[in-house]
Amino acid sequence: MSAALPVLILLTSLVPAGVTFFLAQDSHSLRNGLNLGGAILKLGLIGWMLFSVAGGASYEAILPLAPGLVMLLRVDALALLFISLSATLWFLTTIYAIAYFGTKAELSRFFGFFSLCVAATTGLALSGSLISFFIFFELLTLSTWPLVAHKQDKPSLSAARLYLVYALPGSAALLWAIIWLESATGPVLFTDPPDLSVLEPGALRAIFALFIIGVGVKAAIVPLHGWLPAAMAAPAPVSALLHAVAVVKAGAFGVVRIIYDVFGAANVVALGVGVPLAVLASATIIWGSLRALQQDEIKKRLAFSTVSQVSYIVLGAALASPLAMIGGLVHLIHQGLMKITLFFCAGIYDERAGVRTIAGLNGLGPRMPWTSACFSLGALGMIGLPPLAGFVSKFYLGLGGLDAGAPWVLGVLVASTLLNAAYFLPLLYRLWFLPAAEDATGDERAPALVGPAVVTALATLGVGLLAASPISPLGWATLIVTREYGP
Amino acid sequence: MNALLPFAVLIWPLLLGLVPAVPRWRPHALWILPLAPLPALGLALAGAPGAIFLPDLLLGVHLAAVPGGALYLGMTALVWAAAGVHAALTLPPGPKAGALTGFWCLTLAGNLGVFLAGDVVTFYLAFAAVSLAAWFLVVHERTKKALAAGKLYITLAILGEAALLIGLMIGAAAAEDLRVSSVRAALPDAPLGPFGIAALLVGFGIKAGMIPLHLWLPVAHPAAPVPGSAVLSGAIVKAGLIGMILFIPVASGWGSLLVVAGLIGAFAAALWGLTQQDPKAVLAYSTVSQMGLLLTLVGAGSSHVAFYALHHGLAKAAMFLCVGVVAAAATPRARLLTLTIAGIMALSVSGFPLSGGALAKLASKEGLSDPLVLALTLSSMTTTLVLGWFMLRLARHHATRGHRPVWPGLFAGAAFLAALALLVPWFLWERVTGLQGTYPLGQANILAGLWPVMLGLVAVAVLRARAMPSYPPGDLLALLEMLRARLILVQKAAPQSRRNFTIGHRRRILRILLRSRRADSFFQPWPHAGFLLTVVTLAFAISIWLPN
Repeated sequence: MSAALPVLILLTSLVPAGVTFFLAQDSHSLRNGLNLGGAILKLGLIGWMLFSVAGGASYEAILPLAPGLVMLLRVDALALLFISLSATLWFLTTIYAIAYFGTKAELSRFFGFFSLCVAATTGLALSGSLISFFIFFELLTLSTWPLVAHKQDKPSLSAARLYLVYALPGSAALLWAIIWLESATGPVLFTDPPDLSVLEPGALRAIFALFIIGVGVKAAIVPLHGWLPAAMAAPAPVSALLHAVAVVKAGAFGVVRIIYDVFGAANVVALGVGVPLAVLASATIIWGSLRALQQDEIKKRLAFSTVSQVSYIVLGAALASPLAMIGGLVHLIHQGLMKITLFFCAGIYDERAGVRTIAGLNGLGPRMPWTSACFSLGALGMIGLPPLAGFVSKFYLGLGGLDAGAPWVLGVLVASTLLNAAYFLPLLYRLWFLPAAEDATGDERAPALVGPAVVTALATLGVGLLAASPISPLGWATLIVTREYGP
Repeated sequence: MNALLPFAVLIWPLLLGLVPAVPRWRPHALWILPLAPLPALGLALAGAPGAIFLPDLLLGVHLAAVPGGALYLGMTALVWAAAGVHAALTLPPGPKAGALTGFWCLTLAGNLGVFLAGDVVTFYLAFAAVSLAAWFLVVHERTKKALAAGKLYITLAILGEAALLIGLMIGAAAAEDLRVSSVRAALPDAPLGPFGIAALLVGFGIKAGMIPLHLWLPVAHPAAPVPGSAVLSGAIVKAGLIGMILFIPVASGWGSLLVVAGLIGAFAAALWGLTQQDPKAVLAYSTVSQMGLLLTLVGAGSSHVAFYALHHGLAKAAMFLCVGVVAAAATPRARLLTLTIAGIMALSVSGFPLSGGALAKLASKEGLSDPLVLALTLSSMTTTLVLGWFMLRLARHHATRGHRPVWPGLFAGAAFLAALALLVPWFLWERVTGLQGTYPLGQANILAGLWPVMLGLVAVAVLRARAMPSYPPGDLLALLEMLRARLILVQKAAPQSRRNFTIGHRRRILRILLRSRRADSFFQPWPHAGFLLTVVTLAFAISIWLPN
């Protein structure tokens, strides 16, 4: 059982993906049943594993690929953190996507790649070795491309092309780093950190840089973020998944794995590479916020906000102090919940009211109260207002920065808070205070669109309000850090 | 059961705040406002017992009353209840009233929370609630004036929150614990301690109206509806005060800083109040002045700050309500009655012998150094002056139409608070100060209270005959605005070549933003992507090679 479970989890997304491709366009109920069924099964399996891993169990599956090359799937606490997020949000996004697309064209293709994308993310989370990590990382790159290009109009196609132009060299850098490292140390397993003393510090720094470039493209670290705002051309469910779970999170998760499981926090500090990365993450946080401030389109503003917020995770990992790491890990979850809420709402505004620009939000609050309340919760959470999710991550990151002897982090966090307030509060003001345009339309008679947004918005409130309970994301992140990277 | 009391006090208004979310209940939602603070009043009357630790909530919530908590909680609950009645009687029902009801309750919960929080995260949450949700009280009228005041208010409130967060994080990191007492103990010796304390001083100073961070007070108070100004001036500013008491280590030099800033505020704000025409703006300056005195007491380590704050909260709220009561008075007799109440409150705040305010002043002078006692006595004179000016302005305040039938109810609310302000200090005197009940009746004490007030009244009589200069509320802000207007004039007069020397800061920010846009568009065409990747690889490699 313990060997089958990781594979089973992977299959819950991989099988629906494989089957969906061959379904006819109009077999809606079969396709929807398959996708939702997979998602529910996965949630059940994960719920069971959360329980047993908290009790100290671990699961491992070894699949030989070629002589000397094995794929290792392993469930540890960190992997579970990421797959519980992706499974929960996948389930909600599937419901949302089914309602969003209705009976539009090319749905089998869409849902096939959608499930494949989630399967890749799951595999990435479960990877126990560098080589399995790389395989799923590539699978993710390739399965995301058709999703971004889904509309097949000019902006979508060029956005998808831009995505590949950034992603493929990134993958090359990652592969280069893996080969360089493994040629010296042998295959790297995350449970068993490699002996780095065989390499020169200079070479190690270069390898670290290559690793960060490789995963940094996906994590949208400035200046490698150019593809992310362009990818806004994709349909709303894709943006939601891209920004909250799949691609940018895979990059951030990669940074965490590389720092803590490949190099080890102590080595990162000894090599002096943590501080440059933290500075880069801080620059990204500020730059993303500054750019978000200038956007007139809702989704573009949210995209630049993602650029900024995902680097909180990178910052937490780079500071290499336990508290900062808790802050970074918990932001992996918190940012996902808040951002997916915002994107769900942006999609509802677009679908139900035809509103894409910020000026169009005027007076929508009373007309679409549920959506707007969810949007407000998400935005206030991003600003970092207690008791919402964003506050908890920010508080831990700040404490971690002080702990790691980097008090300038406080300045970055405060600047980011103020900038977030500057680009989110005017939206809320428009929603609730300004009068609507005379020809404004819009309603929210679409429970399958609004429902997922309400759930994630409540989760944004819940994970902050109950942060100290052991079953909260914060409790889980603390468990990871104390158990695996121990004080 | 007792242990749950503080929790219930906070949850009750939050639950009531949800009432207007139900459309059917919305038309009468305003009537829940007087009910929201009742559990807090009960807790205060019981002496604020109970302490509770809720380990799962937030980052672990400790609730217990702060030192002097019963006094703060009682005052806050009474002010909010009386203002709630006033709001329910005067504000028109509708969607605006629904929003006000919800955020009124949230602000109230935050205001009570700062007196009950035992850990820094709960404190920060309560402070954020009282600070940010109060914005809805300021902008309630939605007029241009109210929205402009709201903008200033929210800007300063958010800056204050940010400063507070820095200070609390520095303290919590040094203490490695979140309880207020540990953070307070760890702050002075923390690595960035002085910086953290300065940040806290700014955060609390904005709320408490410490000069020169008081700018929002005289702008926001007149813009808010009468009950809103009453709670802002009576109760909400005390959140900043309790923050100072809880976190600023006054034994070090920080105490002297508070004393100096407080004294400057006490005298300067009272005098500047004379340039105001709107009675609510005059009262706002009087609040800045009284908060200055309170900050002085905090800085000097007086043990009767809560006693003074109790009287000031009740009396100031009563005076603000009187502004609304005068406006609703239909007959000359009603008008006269209201003015009498306001006049008695003005004398009480000035420290007229045997009034509640006199008792508060007497108690707070205990244990102070002689120069400070003298300063306190002299401040009675300026207080009489500014409140006398307030009475003159109030007497000219015109009645507005509407609401007249509800005058008796409005009057009862103001009179109730006024009676409490006069009597509660007598009632609590022996218990709080430990002094004899006859102490305020001593001849020396009566004289010390009497002469500054009399001198002040003479000055008011003189002033009445003279034309006072008139400035818009917001002193420094108004001066800055005038300076800017001058500069623009100068700029227009200057020859073309030198015109650029006062480019507005707005334009400079715009230029920076434009540049970042141009820079960012560089990332979009994709031949640049490969180039970028190479450059970043090289730059990153070099940057991490360099240290060795």
